[in-house]
Amino acid sequence: MKYYRKLQLQLLINHISMAKVVVLGAGISGHTAAAFLKKKLGKKHDVVVVSPASYYQWIPSNIWVGVGKMTIDQVRFKLKPIYDRWKIDFRQAKATTIYPEGNAELTRPFVEIEYTDDDKRGQTDKIDYDYLVNATGPKLNFGATEGLGPGKFTESVCSYDHAAAAWESLKKCMDRMQKGEKLKFLIGTGHATATCQGAAFEYALNVAHQIRERGLSDKAEITWISNEYEIGDFGMGGAFVKRGGYITPTKVFSESIFAEYGIKWIKRAGVNKIENGVAHYETLDGELKSEAFDFAMLIPPFAGAGLKAFDKAGNDISGALFLPSGFMKVDADYSGKPFEDWDVEDWPSTYQSPAYKNIFATGIAFAPPHQISKPMKSPNGTLITPAPPRTGMPSGVIGKIVALNIVDQVKHGATDFKHKASMGKMGAACVVSAGYGMLKGNAATMTVYPIVPNWQKYPQWGRDISYTVGEAGLAGHWIKLFLHYMFIHKAKGYPFWWLLPE
Amino acid sequence: MAKNIVRGYYDESYPPLPTKRTKFWRRNLLWQFWRFIVLNLKIMRIVVGGHS
Repeated sequence: MKYYRKLQLQLLINHISMAKVVVLGAGISGHTAAAFLKKKLGKKHDVVVVSPASYYQWIPSNIWVGVGKMTIDQVRFKLKPIYDRWKIDFRQAKATTIYPEGNAELTRPFVEIEYTDDDKRGQTDKIDYDYLVNATGPKLNFGATEGLGPGKFTESVCSYDHAAAAWESLKKCMDRMQKGEKLKFLIGTGHATATCQGAAFEYALNVAHQIRERGLSDKAEITWISNEYEIGDFGMGGAFVKRGGYITPTKVFSESIFAEYGIKWIKRAGVNKIENGVAHYETLDGELKSEAFDFAMLIPPFAGAGLKAFDKAGNDISGALFLPSGFMKVDADYSGKPFEDWDVEDWPSTYQSPAYKNIFATGIAFAPPHQISKPMKSPNGTLITPAPPRTGMPSGVIGKIVALNIVDQVKHGATDFKHKASMGKMGAACVVSAGYGMLKGNAATMTVYPIVPNWQKYPQWGRDISYTVGEAGLAGHWIKLFLHYMFIHKAKGYPFWWLLPE
Repeated sequence: MAKNIVRGYYDESYPPLPTKRTKFWRRNLLWQFWRFIVLNLKIMRIVVGGHS
């Protein structure tokens, strides 16, 4: 806090002084933040990006890698050449510890990193900063469910390499079905509190489409398994959309699509153990059941990146910066009030750490103040509810507004935040691909506004129905494809990238 | 083998299914081009209004 006040005073007195902004993570949120920081701050100020991966990946298109419709290189590119062009200092490393007050050796705030590139793998370093943006994204917590994840008994599409492995596995299943075998496919969430149902939903539809394209539908039994109370919850308590002259819940919309694609479903299921070919789960009724599979793609729960924090004296202050889940506390209400009492204003809008004002958390790295889907427990006490989603559009928007607020402080000595983006005031578009091809593709397009329902403002539906849409068709596929190329263009910093919205 | 295939009594039997006409419009290039514009405008409206 003391350092932050000193920094603000310094910036107010002398706007030309050099600031150093360190961004941890180069995913959708971190990369967006870094791009805007460098563009707006220019050569006078330093921007450093620390990311353990050497590639940027456009995660939404991993679904197409997972069904063999795109190659890995169509959804990723090397970060270093882009950052070299932008004059951003790129360190291929993972951040391990934050020292927000410095320590006995280094009086400035700094972050400790461990290199992951081939040349310096395992070496550690210290990077001091004036501002720190934590955009570390999620740790894919496969360990939360025994037997879950690549290398064990299930596949994943959470990263391009996982998606490519899923496709290899799926191809083998296609071959077996072509030889006459009947196979069972299980797709959904691999833990009672996992989120990102949208990605799994999309993968299930694409797998069904690929199987149908090969004329193998009679050989496949596809089952969706999810911790949602109702299908179409998506971790945001479901939604209502205008469709065919009715206000329709996403439950009906999603179930309709599943029925059309011949997909069965198991809902209110918390997967708790995977064995070779069998997923064990507990239902909200407290029953313990199993589902056999030949191929399974189950999304893991997310956790924070596991950063630690220490004060100047060397005391562990991780609890002041992070929740036990590892996600960073920001300007949200973490008082833990009952679900029925939460308010849309509990959600953060500036993503500033309350403990250290020069630290921000963007994208999945920030801790949501409460569940959006109503928490549900089985009679055995198991919480079976999706966690709130923060992927895609919200991640990019949050990265951008945090960057712009830091720029205002550095360049103009601003003491308040002009740019705000609360998930209670931000909409989201979800384009769920359900087939591939300019003439044969299909996708379900859903929009909601806001993401977090505002029951005071919109008492009937929780959201503004005039903003919502839910429809399937070729246009959705074109949009998904268009977004793929548009966001890759933007992320690569090609001409007029900054004009493209998040 | 049972004489009748009963379609009811399963979760997947109850959701609405698209008619042939609905499927036709989902693939009709002119209509879908129009929907492409409409949906993009709706998405843009959300994106622009989502942050200040």
